[in-house]
Amino acid sequence: MTTKARSPVTAGSIVVPYGHVVGNEKWRGSEISQRLQGKIKLIFEDGLGLVDFHLSNKTCILYISEADLVAGDEFKRRLVRFRNASSLGGIVIVERTQISDQYFLAVQKLVVLELGMVLLPVANQGEASQLIIQLVREQSKDRSSNPFLRKQCSQLAEASVFRTVQQIPGVGKTKALLLLQQFGSIHRLCNASVKELEPVVGQTVAQQIYTFFTLCS
Amino acid sequence: PSLTSRDPLEKEASLCILVDSREISSGPEVISSLKAVHGVKVQVCSLSSSDYVVSNRMAVERKFQSELLNSVNRTKVIQRIQRLQSMFERICVIVEKDRVKTGETSRFFQRTQCYDGVLSALVQAGIRILFSSCQEETATLLKDLALVEQRKNAAILVPTEVEGRRQELLNFYLSIPNISYLAALNLCHYFDSVKKMANSSPLDIATRARVSQQKAEEIYRYLHYGFDVQMLPENLRTKGKSGAAARS
Repeated sequence: MTTKARSPVTAGSIVVPYGHVVGNEKWRGSEISQRLQGKIKLIFEDGLGLVDFHLSNKTCILYISEADLVAGDEFKRRLVRFRNASSLGGIVIVERTQISDQYFLAVQKLVVLELGMVLLPVANQGEASQLIIQLVREQSKDRSSNPFLRKQCSQLAEASVFRTVQQIPGVGKTKALLLLQQFGSIHRLCNASVKELEPVVGQTVAQQIYTFFTLCS
Repeated sequence: PSLTSRDPLEKEASLCILVDSREISSGPEVISSLKAVHGVKVQVCSLSSSDYVVSNRMAVERKFQSELLNSVNRTKVIQRIQRLQSMFERICVIVEKDRVKTGETSRFFQRTQCYDGVLSALVQAGIRILFSSCQEETATLLKDLALVEQRKNAAILVPTEVEGRRQELLNFYLSIPNISYLAALNLCHYFDSVKKMANSSPLDIATRARVSQQKAEEIYRYLHYGFDVQMLPENLRTKGKSGAAARS
């Protein structure tokens, strides 16, 4: 896969229209392109450099075929050049077949652990097109529809605080409630003296609580 | 900075990984391989939220490929990962190939839209994904993750064995909402007492618990939260003895 030496990555200059994918001219007529047609709007552009597909203004795909893996280290140079030149989020799609399987672990280590990029294996171009369709759908969806990006509603702290106070040895539900009604917060409870604790929970437990909070661990 | 250049001394420092006790049955070879092949210090504890903890900030969830293939497990998988997101700065999901049972020929993996959908959502949320074909490979990946985290000064350095009084303290700290097992361990170890912890600033909590400033502020706010008995759910209040009985 030849690339222009002058501009390895056209970082930022590519504007991807909403719901579209911009594909590198070299993919015209390929199986991926054919399978993407009709599912998503694919436009081809020349001069995308190292990038195979731009999914958005921020995310792009670099495709590593079985042949690339077998051919040697050229694809590694390509990935490193991309990483050094671009601020785009790079998703590396790699063909993991019976033949290329032996290289997979090393590629994964390079891409994910060393370059900090995303790596997703596929068996062939057909699977790659299915994956790309899902990636595009995810990108064009509202953030809140992604369960991992959704803001989680926080629970009332009362139940948690109540549970925390019951972790103090000698303190059950009843004493926990009395302590919280008297001192109001964990912070204030931690700073209570034995004298202040005694009227609430009795002498023995007051000493126990005080020791729990102040003894070196 | 290049991650490939290794300081020879770093290899000497032993890596520590926390393993959830349920992994003893579901991933025995992961554990034995971590110990025997990689020389990692493995501490089995009841993490409940995640399968593995490889650093102060990273939790690792091990999932079988089949668990991501159909929507049956989807909700369960999502809930577990959401819970991790509330506790840890970094999350990695290791997708492991299902085991071929004896007598069964290699299982045919039929990729589904659900599978690609979950992967896409994880990628979009910045959750790391690694692929493994067996338990031994999973162990190698865990060790690699722990090594990368060590190079970024996030390695687990606190003593992980807990007993006696320290267990009581740990349970107390673990009851703080959305705190990770490791942050609770760090609080136990790096603060002289609960009182000192309760009186420290968010910055101090962040430094000693090895958590983000944001998480430290969350902990700080929790410690100072003004409890209102009216807001306590009724079912929690009424169970157990009555207040009058306890006072006598």
